Amino acid sequence: MTSSMTMRAAAAAALSFVLAGCSTTPSKPASPAYTPTQAEVEAEKAGMLSALAPANLAKERPAPPFDVTSNWFIDVSQNPQAWHFYLEPYPKLTPAAQKEFDASKKYEAEGKVYKDDIGQCWPAGLPLIMTRYWPMAMIQKPTAIYMISGFMNSVRIIYLDGRKHSDPDVIIRTYNGESIGEWQGNELVVDTIGFRGDHHWMDQDGPAIPAGEKLHIVERFRMVNDNKQLEIEFTMTDPDHWEGEWKSTKRFNRVVDAEISEVSCLPDLNQHIKSTTSKTQVFQ
Amino acid sequence: MSSMKKALLWSVLMAVALVAPALAHHSPAAFDRTKKVTLVGTVKEFRWQNPHTWIELEVPDEKGKQVVWGVELTSPTYLVRAGWKSNIIKPGDKVTIVVNPVRSGEPSGIFVSLTLADGRELLERPARLGTTESK
Repeated sequence: MTSSMTMRAAAAAALSFVLAGCSTTPSKPASPAYTPTQAEVEAEKAGMLSALAPANLAKERPAPPFDVTSNWFIDVSQNPQAWHFYLEPYPKLTPAAQKEFDASKKYEAEGKVYKDDIGQCWPAGLPLIMTRYWPMAMIQKPTAIYMISGFMNSVRIIYLDGRKHSDPDVIIRTYNGESIGEWQGNELVVDTIGFRGDHHWMDQDGPAIPAGEKLHIVERFRMVNDNKQLEIEFTMTDPDHWEGEWKSTKRFNRVVDAEISEVSCLPDLNQHIKSTTSKTQVFQ
Repeated sequence: MSSMKKALLWSVLMAVALVAPALAHHSPAAFDRTKKVTLVGTVKEFRWQNPHTWIELEVPDEKGKQVVWGVELTSPTYLVRAGWKSNIIKPGDKVTIVVNPVRSGEPSGIFVSLTLADGRELLERPARLGTTESK
């Protein structure tokens, strides 16, 4: 480097320092404060401001400790069966759930498949949608995390904008439920209720344990292994089907070489996927 | 590749396929993974789609009657990684397909391997995405 270049660089650095320290000449223009529209003001008053409304996104919030935006896939490197929630020990089942559990074991011994509702195009639902053998896209915004499963493009939204769960008389029951998240230290704690209790199972391809309308799932999301893996600790209760808490912890790896594509259970799918309509299936 | 090496590679691939769940929307418990059926027949239809690609194959039974077998495969996402294309087979092609059959004895099975008329053999790639090495 020549001495004249060194002098010019030093002068430029000194000028930048002076400008940065000058209150009337900021080094970079501040972003203008967002002015909510009348529609947003009215929506906010009604408690219905959507997660993607500019006024909601523009609100000041503490920076989150991590960002889950990525494609993820259940880590099966240590155990090919790690995607299952049916890993023992099972919780103590209620008589209603034990009846289904025993029926599935009986038919399994006969080489049959008991009530495989997912195979008949019913949604997998939470918790299984998180560990299906398909990648899951997660997109994090300040107000919500949007998840799109590669499995049937099932959508799950975790709201982070401070809203509470919907009133019981207006909640729309779904297979993925209604999820509200809150940052607590270095973790995201997600509370999910509002499940549909029909054709909803805790797992697939194993002993049948129903998931009911009283299913309540608390997930603790955390980044582990030097930010390479997402860990979710599930604590699940459903007094109609098992006693106490059912705990399970899963890890997910980033997928950097595959996309989420359009996947639908179309009306003609099972006409050609003949095992789903074969005599191996037990529907009742 | 020597026949011994080929046999070893085949057994390794099959071991991986057996422990890795298929990328299926349904339970794989309907299939008898301990049995293999070799189907020599004519492609009736080949559908390249999500969540499963499928093949319908006309296979003559022992009395010469044509029976349509349904063969289920994984998603095109993984077939592409194993060298497949949407036009790799078409109606009328003579092929050999090995399947694990359904336990009920009906003409249906889950894919194990495909041998084309020119002798090329194609497998599936097990759905095993994501590693801790990904950044």
